Amino acid sequence: MANEIWVYIEKARHADNIAAISRELLGKGRELADAQGATLAALVLGSGVRALAERAFAYGADKAYVEDDEALAQYTTDGYVGAAAALAQKYEPTLIMTGSTFQMRDFSAALAAELNAGLAVDVNNLSIDGDQITAVRMSHGGNVINTLQFAAGRPVVASVRKQSFPEAQEQPGRSGEIVEEALPQIDLRTIVKSVAPKQGAVNLADASVIVSGGRGLGSAENYKKLIPALAEALGGAYGASRAIVDAGWIPYEHQVGQTGKTVSPKLYVAAGISGAIQHLAGMRSSRTIVAINKDPDAPIFRVASYGLVGDVNELVPLLTEEINKQRG
Amino acid sequence: MHIVVCLKQVPRDNSVKINPDLSINSDGIEQIMNLFDEYAVEEGIKWNEQHGGKVTVLSLGPDAWKEQMRRALAMGATDALLLNDPAFTMLDTIGAARVSAAAINRLGDVDLVICGRNSTDDESGAFGPALARVLGWPQLTYVGKISELDDNHIVAERHLEEQIETVETKLPAVITVVKDINEPRYPSLLRIKRVAKVEIPTMSAAEVDLTAADLQPVTTIANRVPPPPRQKGEIIQGGDAREKVRALVEKLRAEQVI
Ligand SMILES: Cc1cc2nc3c(=O)[nH]c(=O)nc-3n(C[C@H](O)[C@H](O)[C@H](O)COP(=O)(O)OP(=O)(O)OC[C@H]3O[C@@H](n4cnc5c(N)ncnc54)[C@H](O)[C@@H]3O)c2cc1C
Ligand SMILES: Nc1ncnc2c1ncn2[C@@H]1O[C@H](COP(=O)(O)O)[C@@H](O)[C@H]1O
Repeated sequence: MANEIWVYIEKARHADNIAAISRELLGKGRELADAQGATLAALVLGSGVRALAERAFAYGADKAYVEDDEALAQYTTDGYVGAAAALAQKYEPTLIMTGSTFQMRDFSAALAAELNAGLAVDVNNLSIDGDQITAVRMSHGGNVINTLQFAAGRPVVASVRKQSFPEAQEQPGRSGEIVEEALPQIDLRTIVKSVAPKQGAVNLADASVIVSGGRGLGSAENYKKLIPALAEALGGAYGASRAIVDAGWIPYEHQVGQTGKTVSPKLYVAAGISGAIQHLAGMRSSRTIVAINKDPDAPIFRVASYGLVGDVNELVPLLTEEINKQRG
Repeated sequence: MHIVVCLKQVPRDNSVKINPDLSINSDGIEQIMNLFDEYAVEEGIKWNEQHGGKVTVLSLGPDAWKEQMRRALAMGATDALLLNDPAFTMLDTIGAARVSAAAINRLGDVDLVICGRNSTDDESGAFGPALARVLGWPQLTYVGKISELDDNHIVAERHLEEQIETVETKLPAVITVVKDINEPRYPSLLRIKRVAKVEIPTMSAAEVDLTAADLQPVTTIANRVPPPPRQKGEIIQGGDAREKVRALVEKLRAEQVI
């Protein structure tokens, strides 16, 4: 295998740059590569994406493998995994890092299977010691922290959870070597017929503040009146317990927990949520947790950094008011 | 049409312990069908009601998983196959996919495999894509709607974080499904009774023609620990509601979280 670490580069959705996750991965990749005397390479796939390679150099990549082809204009597993696998078989990186969006989970798992590689999904830490790559990921709703290692001589594909590593700093003017390859012969069996924005999409995973409400709010009306307002005051998104999703107060998109979304924002506010283990599964790794509940024995207080005991319908509007006051 | 549904049995909640050999100990926790697999079973049955043929539930796991396989039969699946061998406990996800692929190839006439988007214990969602790749079939992950399905092709919506992709691919294929796709049915008591004693066929490694080398994992678990306890929190005391709220805001500001 070549002494190379690869980072799959994603384009930022709303800017002419690489995505935050790619900057995070380049930051970590640079650190690992420097410690190992390895080359850090960007993996750039798509159509009209050559400029992303230059952006990747500015954030620390030494090299970029580019497959720029109209057939890659839309993500398809066949196209992207076919392209990446051909490159990986030719240039033999030791580690390939990707983000862990749905698309990247689709990609990383299929790529690992294609390469008979080691696979680590949604990891929050990675290290390399000589030939030994180690990845850390949580499972069982955050109740188990798994340390994964990999058979010698096999490449490793790791999808990485957002905000696991600090972003690389931009170094304007930094350049690197571009290796451009033609798309290999691939049977593209899947056609993307259309792509539409999702109605009412809530990207909880990206939010740095999340305010969630539960059954303790008493009614859907109270939820709608109080929770989005507090979330807005804090510049965050709003979530929910399963109990109120099942009760139809709010769509499933907002559910946090074992069967909803796993989040780890800087601040998580749980209002009128008891703290069932399945809810904790989705939010316990948040940095600061505030719980508001009338029952001082509610299990949510066991994971809370700060607790307010009392009626949510009184405390939440007061909190919103205080925060808005402070913001001026 | 022959549809295979991959099904995992999981603990109802994740308050699990870690055994000294690093396996997961879920003793005392009720075992249920992985939530997303209920949707996979329902979707398989729904299309089977329209097209006829077979819906086979496939699990790679211990004998105890027959309980949830029976639940799938009670929901309306027509066949079941349990892949069970002491050698399977060491498999990584790609190895599990390889064994399942070998079994699916033995079934011979499979048109579509439906998996859940992820399991609620491992939480990886890697099994479906790995299975597709090992089989050499196309994959559609995170499917929230199947709008067309016949012997040759499938048209489906992939429900991603912020967008919906409408995609078409050829069969045979592997898909993984999300909650949007349907409302799983509850099996009636009568049906549960009827399948209670049904024999569930099993296959071992040898029966799917795999050797020890095929089962050798590339990914291994070197360690497993519970999370470090969270720092003890503080219940804000004293004063009336407004004073407490003010005190909280002060603390959050001091910590620079707001
Ligand atoms: C397989 C499985 C998967 C699950 N997945 C999830 C999941 O992904 N996410 C999830 O959230 N749950 C999940 N659950 C459900 C979970 O077990 C709980 O039932 C659910 O989280 C409870 O929601 P809740 O806290 O809103 O309601 P409750 O448990 O009813 O709690 C309401 C809380 O509000 C408090 N309260 C009441 N009135 C007031 C008031 N006026 N002021 C202040 N506080 C008040 C009460 O003291 C109580 O603590 C799952 C369950 C199972 C079995
Ligand atoms: N051991 C298994 N036996 C059968 N199906 C499985 C198994 N493991 C995973 N699956 C399927 O793959 C999906 C994703 O699981 P996972 O990759 O563990 O998150 C599940 O919803 C099942 O449909």
